[in-house]
Amino acid sequence: MKISVNLLVLLGLTLFVFSFNASSSDNFNWRGFVAQGVIQAEHSNYIDDEGDVTLKLTEVGLNGSYTFENSNFRVAGQVVYLNGGNRYPEGFRVDYLFFDWRAITNLDWQVNVHLGRVKNYHWLYSSTRDVPHTRPTIILPQSIYFDAFRDVALGVDGVAVVANTSNSWGDWEFNWSYGNSPISEEQTKNLIAPTSMGNIEQEYVHQGNLVWHDQVLKLSAGLLDSKFEYVSGAQDFFIDGKAQVQRIILQGTYETQNWLLAFELFRERNIYNNLIFDGFINNTQSEGGYVQGRYLINKDLALTTRLDIFDLDRKDRNGEARSAQSGGQIPAYFGYQDQFTLGVSWTFAEDWQLQAEFHRVKGTGRLAPVFMPNIMQNDRKYWNIWGVQFAHWF
Amino acid sequence: MKGLLSRLANVTFILMTMLATAAFAEDRTVSVIVNIDVKTEQLTPAQLRKIFSMRQTVWPDGQAISVFVLKTENPVHQALCKNVLKMFPYQIERLWNKLAYSGLGDKPIELDSAEEMLKKISSTPGAIGYLLDVTSAENVKKIRVMENSK
Repeated sequence: MKISVNLLVLLGLTLFVFSFNASSSDNFNWRGFVAQGVIQAEHSNYIDDEGDVTLKLTEVGLNGSYTFENSNFRVAGQVVYLNGGNRYPEGFRVDYLFFDWRAITNLDWQVNVHLGRVKNYHWLYSSTRDVPHTRPTIILPQSIYFDAFRDVALGVDGVAVVANTSNSWGDWEFNWSYGNSPISEEQTKNLIAPTSMGNIEQEYVHQGNLVWHDQVLKLSAGLLDSKFEYVSGAQDFFIDGKAQVQRIILQGTYETQNWLLAFELFRERNIYNNLIFDGFINNTQSEGGYVQGRYLINKDLALTTRLDIFDLDRKDRNGEARSAQSGGQIPAYFGYQDQFTLGVSWTFAEDWQLQAEFHRVKGTGRLAPVFMPNIMQNDRKYWNIWGVQFAHWF
Repeated sequence: MKGLLSRLANVTFILMTMLATAAFAEDRTVSVIVNIDVKTEQLTPAQLRKIFSMRQTVWPDGQAISVFVLKTENPVHQALCKNVLKMFPYQIERLWNKLAYSGLGDKPIELDSAEEMLKKISSTPGAIGYLLDVTSAENVKKIRVMENSK
């Protein structure tokens, strides 16, 4: 399904016009955030090609929503400016912009249908991954929140259903979405190789998950299915090809007064057809996930530790078979990426936060480009990331 | 030195008063209150969780719900979370942030004092909020909190 640019323009204009003509401030709400940090990922191209200390850690967002009086409709949108270096393309983008129809609403059930550019509500941090004060750390676990795939995983131009209810067993949520994401030229180069001259189109992504929770425990299971097409360009090394990604994901949290534990685990089938030569087929299963612990020293200060593991091919966890296939050109450490994180979040004033963290990384399996790895700049099996970021929200 | 001790004593007194207030509030009954024109008389903790976490935005008769809360650090808010909603305050705050920055909804209206809460609830159609030990007030009624439906 393709939501036309016209619909997004219409939604944007609706939000813009009503924000100025709102008969009462109760109908229109707006919020935002601004964050700037300093970061370094030495001996890797994760942030920039030189691995230097850099200010490429900027996140700014402004959102608004308008509720139509005496109706079940509202429109909501957010524009963000991001600069994360090589992590994702720098610039402004429409983060979300959709019509929200309250289809069913009573004291026990609420079902909303969203149409437009909708967020990915299926993972623990996916719907607010760029909003610093909603994240446990500046850099999210790359096994699940793979930065090179950010724009594709962020949401879809399509339709979503968000439902919740409660019964004697606890509270339940169900999220379903269908649509596709536009993929820019820069993102294509990130995913395939800098030399690729063609375009990737996402044919569709279909995702759903069911969540159960009570006061301390939350459990969720979800499925994802997506198809991509690569259309080669003039004088392209690559040829037309297709890819399919299917993922099963399990999530859970356990929360007490001071301790917050979280995990997300997935297995993903990746099938590539053609792309390099006619008849080329690559069918692998990736696995990964993280376990995270947070300790709230008080309401303003939290410590975070996390172990994140990713294996590109579960039948070649140490990457040696792939390395051998490439004639030794691709080092084995491109077959995995394990990351240990220590971080601190401090809300030092109302609506102001400082985050600082250190990551020790083994392997480079979650660095872009995905298909043809950058072996020149990622020449270390072990490397580090550190970052400090100030954030303000309103 | 004497000045320092005196300042320390003052700080200790303030801290003890704050802790006492917190303990006092957590042990007291928090009353969920609504504007007099709201037709609903009773709610379960699960229904209240949905209303205060901004997932339920209209009353059964279609009237919009206006949610008013006190600041997160206010002991009455802490008591509401712990005793009525059965949530930790950081959990509900995280939910509000998720809604407000992903387009799903918005945060409730935050107030500074109990006086302000009473004034807002009594003057806003469809309003819901909470206070300690409310017996009666003009244009405000108390919601009976039921056990969760089986």
